[in-house]
Amino acid sequence: MRVHVWILLVAAVVAAALVGIGGGPVALSLGEVWGALLGEGDPTHVAIVHGLRLPRVVLGLVVGAGLAASGTALQATLRNPLAEPYLLGVSGGAAAGAVLALTLGLVGPALVPLAAFAGATAAVVVVLLVARAVSGHADPRVLLMAGVVVGAFCTAAIMVALATASENQVRTALWWMMGSLGDAQWASLRWIALYVSAGLILLATWARDVDVLALGEEAAASLGLEVERVTRRVYLAASLLAAATVAGAGLIGFVGLIVPAIARALGASNTRQTLIAAALAGGALVVVADLAARTVMRPAELPLGAVTALIGVPFFLWRLRSLR
Amino acid sequence: MSGRLRSLVALLVFAFACGGPSATPSMSGTVDDFGDTLGLVAPATRVVSLNPVTTELLFALGVGERLVGRTSWDLFPDAARAVPDVGNGMQPNVEAVLGQRPDLVLLYASASNRLAARQLRAAGVMTLALRTDQVADLARVTPIIAAALGAAERGRRVVDSVRASLAAVGAMPRPAAPVTAFWHIWDAPLMTIGGGSYLSELLEIAGATNVFADAAAPSPQVTLEEVAARDPRWVLAGPLSAVRIRAHPGWQAVRAVREGRVITIDTTVVGRPGVRMGEAARYLRRVLIDAPPR
Repeated sequence: MRVHVWILLVAAVVAAALVGIGGGPVALSLGEVWGALLGEGDPTHVAIVHGLRLPRVVLGLVVGAGLAASGTALQATLRNPLAEPYLLGVSGGAAAGAVLALTLGLVGPALVPLAAFAGATAAVVVVLLVARAVSGHADPRVLLMAGVVVGAFCTAAIMVALATASENQVRTALWWMMGSLGDAQWASLRWIALYVSAGLILLATWARDVDVLALGEEAAASLGLEVERVTRRVYLAASLLAAATVAGAGLIGFVGLIVPAIARALGASNTRQTLIAAALAGGALVVVADLAARTVMRPAELPLGAVTALIGVPFFLWRLRSLR
Repeated sequence: MSGRLRSLVALLVFAFACGGPSATPSMSGTVDDFGDTLGLVAPATRVVSLNPVTTELLFALGVGERLVGRTSWDLFPDAARAVPDVGNGMQPNVEAVLGQRPDLVLLYASASNRLAARQLRAAGVMTLALRTDQVADLARVTPIIAAALGAAERGRRVVDSVRASLAAVGAMPRPAAPVTAFWHIWDAPLMTIGGGSYLSELLEIAGATNVFADAAAPSPQVTLEEVAARDPRWVLAGPLSAVRIRAHPGWQAVRAVREGRVITIDTTVVGRPGVRMGEAARYLRRVLIDAPPR
């Protein structure tokens, strides 16, 4: 990838962060935003910028980077451009965990994210075990199929749980399943950022092995690569990375699917480049989508996952056309 | 206190007094909010009520003993708890309702209840689907239900009594400066009450102003940033939510929260647009105007 493309990507992240902090349902002038950032002026403005917008923007950057990197690693390892964390059990498991917690009345601030993370982790492990039991190793095709089936099972479990839930619980469950950065708080954000950074570093470290894997399983094995082990650990790390984002912001679709394609279209040639470029682009995309979610229908807020899908589907169709 | 506000309150109480059909409803011929015609030959004797408002109303009409089914949410008055629970009422379990052998089923007139009403009528059970969203709705639906139960006179007294309580609160002196309030009803997504809700009307009657009264929907979704910008004097919330709001860093953006003006609302008093609305208005008047927390 050329240097000016990297500069462009970093500029996009900075620009997205700036419009994310400057824009919102309450119109603040540039001067007011700047003053609020420095902690001066109207205390309500300071509270809006420091307490609401800043954590939201940072959470958006972290979640977008995590989802995009996770998608990149999975697509490269499973050698399938449709592979993404949500297709491999993460979304189903997380949703089942969160909805179960909601309908059981466990509404403490940290409980729903924890339940979502636990559900996602459980689903990921089940998918891996199913793939091993069926094919004896982590066969990419079996992993994908096991992911789809586990996802369907989780959806059924959610429907059962919601059948007896109250109207408001159903609304919260739907809202959570469409993703939102609305609950961004520094305390929980710290942990998610730490977790996502660790996942990014791990995946970047293993990126060279993934490149070898792209030559095909036999070629990779003949070069001395432990195909089975690499596939399994990248799958686990990428899925758990996505699970952490789900705990922070619910389900935000299409980021893991389309952003890796954007990174490749920008000229990223190997897995490590694609990973880093996708992380930057993913962060910028989620922050901008969240700004749209906050402002388009004000004073109401749109579900973030719906906005990313509205942006993502046309892009994906356009990419399909260019693959012809 | 502006003249506009005073006339608004008068209008609300007046709307309550004369809302509803001009002709006295009878046991047959009345059309409900689904457009179905009520056809009873004798007062109903076995009633299933799938709306907490109408469940309360039956007891107020003195015919609580005719109730043979209610939803899981209908917990007032205490006597209602002894009535068999036929489900959560969101998607009525028609079989469970029919199992109670009712001759009249009272439904809330929501789209999700249309199918149930059709199935019940096909099974030969009379239904009355009625909207109960605003203050005026009680005065509109009470005569209809009272007539179906042969309790028209008692129905008039119930309406008169609620109207008198609301009028008494509405006639109290208005506060010198406007008392604005944000009413929190749900997190994720954040929801409040809009002008279309009876709670917004009760706030007006009590002498306060809902900062989202301009939203037409009964329970619009809003952003925290918008709440901060509208800068309500008070934030009202149920017991669990109030604890969460006081502790949540994001809510510090709202001045009322920063300055400790969060009022925990007794949701059992104000929960329904039913026969206890007078009590609810008095309660709101007390906690917001006469004796706000210091």
